[in-house]
Amino acid sequence: MINRLLLKKSIAESRLLLIACATAIYAFCWTRVWIASQFSMVQFQTVLEQFRDYERFSPVPFEQLFTYTGRVALTFDEPIVVGSVSLWAIARGSDCISGEIGRGTMEMLLAQPVSRLQVLWSQTFVTLGGVAILAMASWLGTYSGIMTNSVEEPVVRSWTIPWLQIEIPNLLAEKEVRRIPLRQEIDPGHLVPAAVNLFALGVFLAGLTTLFSAMDRYRWRTIGLIAMVYVTQMIMKIVALASDQLAWLNRYTFFTAYEPERFVSIAMNSPESTWSFLLRDASGAWTELGPMGYNSLLIGMGLVAYLAATLIFQRRDLPAPL
Amino acid sequence: MFIDLRGLTKRYGTFAALQDCTLTIERGEVFGLLGPNGAGKTTLLRLLLGYLSPTSGQASIDGLDCHRRSVEVRRRTSYLPGEVRLFGSMRGRKVLKFFAEIRPGGDFRRSLDLADRLELDLSRRVAFMSTGMRQKLALVATLAADTPLMILDEPTANLDPTVRGIVAQLVTESQQRGHTVLFSSHVLSEVEDVCDRVAFLRDGQLAHLQVMHDLKRRHRIRARLAGPWYPPPDPLEKELVVQRDADGRISIETSGEMAPVLQWLSTMNLLEMNVQPVGLRALYDLVHDLGHG
Repeated sequence: MINRLLLKKSIAESRLLLIACATAIYAFCWTRVWIASQFSMVQFQTVLEQFRDYERFSPVPFEQLFTYTGRVALTFDEPIVVGSVSLWAIARGSDCISGEIGRGTMEMLLAQPVSRLQVLWSQTFVTLGGVAILAMASWLGTYSGIMTNSVEEPVVRSWTIPWLQIEIPNLLAEKEVRRIPLRQEIDPGHLVPAAVNLFALGVFLAGLTTLFSAMDRYRWRTIGLIAMVYVTQMIMKIVALASDQLAWLNRYTFFTAYEPERFVSIAMNSPESTWSFLLRDASGAWTELGPMGYNSLLIGMGLVAYLAATLIFQRRDLPAPL
Repeated sequence: MFIDLRGLTKRYGTFAALQDCTLTIERGEVFGLLGPNGAGKTTLLRLLLGYLSPTSGQASIDGLDCHRRSVEVRRRTSYLPGEVRLFGSMRGRKVLKFFAEIRPGGDFRRSLDLADRLELDLSRRVAFMSTGMRQKLALVATLAADTPLMILDEPTANLDPTVRGIVAQLVTESQQRGHTVLFSSHVLSEVEDVCDRVAFLRDGQLAHLQVMHDLKRRHRIRARLAGPWYPPPDPLEKELVVQRDADGRISIETSGEMAPVLQWLSTMNLLEMNVQPVGLRALYDLVHDLGHG
């Protein structure tokens, strides 16, 4: 199913984009953690409280964001991280078939004794490998940020009332701050579900783009089509969050399955559900999909799209280059 | 037979790009495909390579169905497309290495020898090559494959006359090694030089099949009569197509030996006489109703 030479060719063609995206993600994630470390929790909390009315737009309750883990988890929802993974998935997915046909190189490629399946899956292997590398880069970026940065926290001096053992703040004491390494505040393992969720999003986008690519002969049209779907789905998500009447739209946008902060929150607060497919209430009845449920949904839809792309590409006529 | 087409048809809606094409090509033959743009030549070649699925009929190469067993067919076939597009970021040498390695039994050394013969600079990236250089590079990649069947769609487009000569020579060498060559071109002289048989396509249909050896025996004689007209003797009459006009101008087409014809003509008083081989040009015009006289 995979041809070594086609694999080599695909890696050679895509390595610059992969290196650029991975570097951008790694550097941004490190920087994002560094920025988070520059504001003390008290300052951040004060700022965020101003936006309490808009909490419904937050994927997790504000209380989760008042933890360092919660603040760092927001990194996985930043446009640079999501954008870089989307860029890679769309660029490689669209190049796979309509890109090769549009450039006219598919003609020479399929003049060789290689099957269409080999052409498609050799490229897919590189695309999905790239998505995994980018997801790993995001986690490594946050991990190195956590390991190399520290936060300033005010030291609260207090008096202890003898015999009663009651502590009261010493308001007269000179204000002091101390630096606490972030690794003492954040367990990098809690961020793994967010990176896995990013990987699942990449697989879905790459699969959907490849499906459009398999039906088309122009790469620009494939990219236009997937961009339209992407923007429409994003608008649906925003509208669903903004209006209770339109909350049902949530069920029809793939962004519902991309909730890295929520999965980090589950890893922090209910570690036993970190890799659950279903979340259950106290009585044991399932209430909603768990992190792995959403990830499986994204990866599953991506693989179904790949399967459909394979069937279409196997059966379609190959148009002559224009 | 090596290539067998039976009622091969490709339709796009109501438009028939190729219609009911039945044809066989023997192993070791150099077979030409002629026809104006849109006649169905490239469609036929793309059906052979499995790029297109036939609407009806079937095509096979070496007994293998071209659509169902496309990979095995392409293992026996090397193809030069009419519109050559190669991987822009690769250097010439790397392109040849890629094509030599991807094909079982591919020979990179042979590719380099051919590139040398065509004076091709392999150090340049494809993106910075001229159209002619890219054509040469694709030609080298195709000819180096050394497969039992070579399909060449407009192989000499964008090439200078010297390289065209070398290409014709390479095709002849392939034939001498027992390979079959399917050659599509608009350059009639090239087809005339290298092909054993030629198929004329018109509006997606096989309009005429010509054995080149027979065509080379056909001549057209134009003369002006100054004296009386003597009809050709009985056995010769069947081989001739004679046209006469009131001014005494005669036009004779012959498909047999020239000696008895000239002997018959010598019995008449002719003012001027011109003898020409019929050639593909005349046949092409005839098949496509262009009739230049």
